[in-house]
Amino acid sequence: MLSEILIIVIRGIAIGSIFATIAMSFNIVHGATNIFNFAQGNMFILGGFAAYFLANQVGLGQWSLMLLLTGLGIAAVVAVQGYITLLPLRSSVEQDSWLISTVSVSVIVAALLMITQGPFAYSVQSVVPSFRIFGTRTPGAYALAIAAMIFWFFALRYFLRRTFIGLAISALSQDFDAARAAGLPVRRLQLISFAISGLMVGTVGFLVAPVISVSPDAGLKYVLNGFVAAVVGGIGSNAGTLIGGPLVGVVAMLTAYKVGGAYQDLASLLVLVLILMFRPQGLFGRVGARRV
Amino acid sequence: MQATANVQTGPVSMAETKPKGRFNSDLTQVWIGVALIAITGFGPVIAGNSYWIHTFQLVNIYIAAAIFQNMLFVDAGQKSFGQGAILGLAAYVAAILFGLHGWSFAAAAMGGIVAAMLGGLLFALPALRVQGFHLGFVTMSAAIVFPQLLVTLDKWTNGINGISVTVPALTNPIVGSMSLLAIAVAVFPMIALFVHYGIRRSKLGRMMFVAALSPEAARSLGIKPGVMRFTAFIVASIGTGICGILYLPTVAFVSPQGFNIELSFVFFFAVVVGGRGQMLGPIIGIWIVYILPNILLAGFVEYRLLMYGCLTLVAVMAFPDGIVGSVERLRAKRKQTGGGEQAFRIDGFLADLQAGKTVREPSEEIAVEVRNGTKKFGEVVAVSAVDLKVRKGEVHGLIGANGSGKTSLLNVLSGLSRLNTGSFMINGVDATNMAADRIANMSLGRTFQAPRIFSQMSLWDNLKIGIDARVGPASADMTALAKAMEKSFGQDSATLLSHGQRRLVEVMRTVLKEATIVLFDEPAAGLSQSERTNFANLVKFLSRQMGKTVILVEHDLDLVWGIADTITVLEQGRVVSSGKPDVVAKDPAVQHMFVGSRHA
Repeated sequence: MLSEILIIVIRGIAIGSIFATIAMSFNIVHGATNIFNFAQGNMFILGGFAAYFLANQVGLGQWSLMLLLTGLGIAAVVAVQGYITLLPLRSSVEQDSWLISTVSVSVIVAALLMITQGPFAYSVQSVVPSFRIFGTRTPGAYALAIAAMIFWFFALRYFLRRTFIGLAISALSQDFDAARAAGLPVRRLQLISFAISGLMVGTVGFLVAPVISVSPDAGLKYVLNGFVAAVVGGIGSNAGTLIGGPLVGVVAMLTAYKVGGAYQDLASLLVLVLILMFRPQGLFGRVGARRV
Repeated sequence: MQATANVQTGPVSMAETKPKGRFNSDLTQVWIGVALIAITGFGPVIAGNSYWIHTFQLVNIYIAAAIFQNMLFVDAGQKSFGQGAILGLAAYVAAILFGLHGWSFAAAAMGGIVAAMLGGLLFALPALRVQGFHLGFVTMSAAIVFPQLLVTLDKWTNGINGISVTVPALTNPIVGSMSLLAIAVAVFPMIALFVHYGIRRSKLGRMMFVAALSPEAARSLGIKPGVMRFTAFIVASIGTGICGILYLPTVAFVSPQGFNIELSFVFFFAVVVGGRGQMLGPIIGIWIVYILPNILLAGFVEYRLLMYGCLTLVAVMAFPDGIVGSVERLRAKRKQTGGGEQAFRIDGFLADLQAGKTVREPSEEIAVEVRNGTKKFGEVVAVSAVDLKVRKGEVHGLIGANGSGKTSLLNVLSGLSRLNTGSFMINGVDATNMAADRIANMSLGRTFQAPRIFSQMSLWDNLKIGIDARVGPASADMTALAKAMEKSFGQDSATLLSHGQRRLVEVMRTVLKEATIVLFDEPAAGLSQSERTNFANLVKFLSRQMGKTVILVEHDLDLVWGIADTITVLEQGRVVSSGKPDVVAKDPAVQHMFVGSRHA
């Protein structure tokens, strides 16, 4: 019984690390642009489809190459999407068009997948062998999910604090007008942040494809859970997502175990509403960091 | 009363040469909308084709739902992606009560509408705390979870099999070939259109709009933004709930697939493609987003989601105002001509108001008193142990360098931020912990450094929200002033006003609000020399003839010394000098401020 709970918690943390990575990918774009990319979940699923078509039952060498190509490819796709999203914001005073354009891109990507691939869930063979933990076989991709979260956390931390471009993006998120006045190439930096977010979700989608449902309509589930993880951790706080993501994952797994798999999304929704009602700045966010 | 008679003639001098075009075409759009709805509502019945009858009944129901989405989205600023779930909730609850439990249709319909209201409440609760994309995600996940629950809770919902119902009383013909349902489905979108128009023209609608555009301006006008959002969600849910009730006998079947997130997207996208905020927008939007893929291109029905997405993306990129909005913009542009200094002047009105008024000196009573007030932002002390007394009816100038805490003090006094320590009283009542809207309702009014002027509203409506915020009955003077201003500015746009004029509009808003204590935050910045003179006259008039207390934050020292009765000088959050203008001018502590000014 106890070990059952333990296994569920471990799987929850693993699934939650996917949400955490998606949440971090939200944060970097939001910091640089104030935009939340509603299509991020579908970009993640694209990574899963790439794993199915490019790296199903292949050797480690080809798999690694394809991982890299997928990451770069989806980074390019998201950068193009970012360019499109930012276009109307250049001239218009009215700033909520991004909400509409990212939602419509999300719908378009899901529809394209549905038309070309049908409403099926594709299963992807894992290249990493499963391992035993508490006497239960656990798919290797769970370990990859956690490793990816940790990797992206430290990679982002290094990038944002130690590289020139990263520091410039940090400057954007702290004071947009000052950064622009200081002569930073704002648009380019924003596109780079979009590309990085694509690189993140693309690689993670590829890595965890064996343990998720790779289907055209799954994107929404991940964009929402990623958002809940970001809100729980505090929007803008990457360290917060390391707690927020696994927390949401564990809640989802426990719900599936105790109540039923059909209630997972409901549980995430309840977590989201409760956090927004009682601690809208999240567990680690600052109060009133940015005035609306 | 003499003044009243004069005011009628006053604005004639405002040079009204040619008749003005309407500020917006809302009313025209409503009538075109009614005609279009009548075509889709009655046309197929007259033509007698049962396939078209059924299809267009659904179209009309969706048009009504999109109209409520439009109101919620634009007039109340609430971005909901979950209106399809609200419609489905009403339809499902009614289907369960009527189809599975044998309730009468009327009772089941009531149950469905109540359920929709409860659903709307669930959306409104998070909206009290968060806005924008947060709310988008909450409502979107609700729209995803809703059909999942319908499947899972099959004990009550019949699960994936859905519920079939027939309501012969509604679907049997009563007038010719028209059934009661056909009439209801044709008429309800028209009602929805009039409800939307009525709300927009009402005090409630303006308050909702201001709360959506600028919560702090709303609060300083005594509006609770939370209450406005709540109201908007409830009204939209009732309307959308009725759509759900009409859906039930029209389709005669409910199933979870019927109410997935696609439906919510249709309503949202229809509003965007048709034209956000335009009365006709949702109608044209549903025609394009729904009719085009589902009826005209029915052979490619599996591409419909792709079409929804592409149409919306193209709309946002190419014509962000939507189809109706782009047409309306062309129309508005053609009539729009800048009025220069004439676009908004107050001297004409002022002269009439001043006529026959006696001049009173400020009393010794205290209107506003701050005791040892300190306001910190993190480590920064913006206001430091300030003591301030403002007499009733006086003009109190608050001066100091940028960052000396003047605006922070105004924000505290208007309730937009709280003192960390100390207290303040308004007319003898402790207001230290009062919310901004309560303070506003104690007859306090304020303006902002960045004027809160809303280009989506006419110039007159921008002023009228001051009247909406008035506490108590109107005075004869102000009623007359309002009438004169409505006549002058009723169809004017606020878009082309200069920055200085925008400030004046905001000042006049507080005058129309009949606030007895007014806080002006740098009102003269950006005013021309003649506008400054007019403004100084206005302030004198407000203080001496209307008996109002004026607190004035201003950098134009000549202006302040010309009109203030008392001046308080702030430096780094502290009061360094306070007293009559001539005394303060001689205070060595403030001498350095006067470089280049004639008071040196």
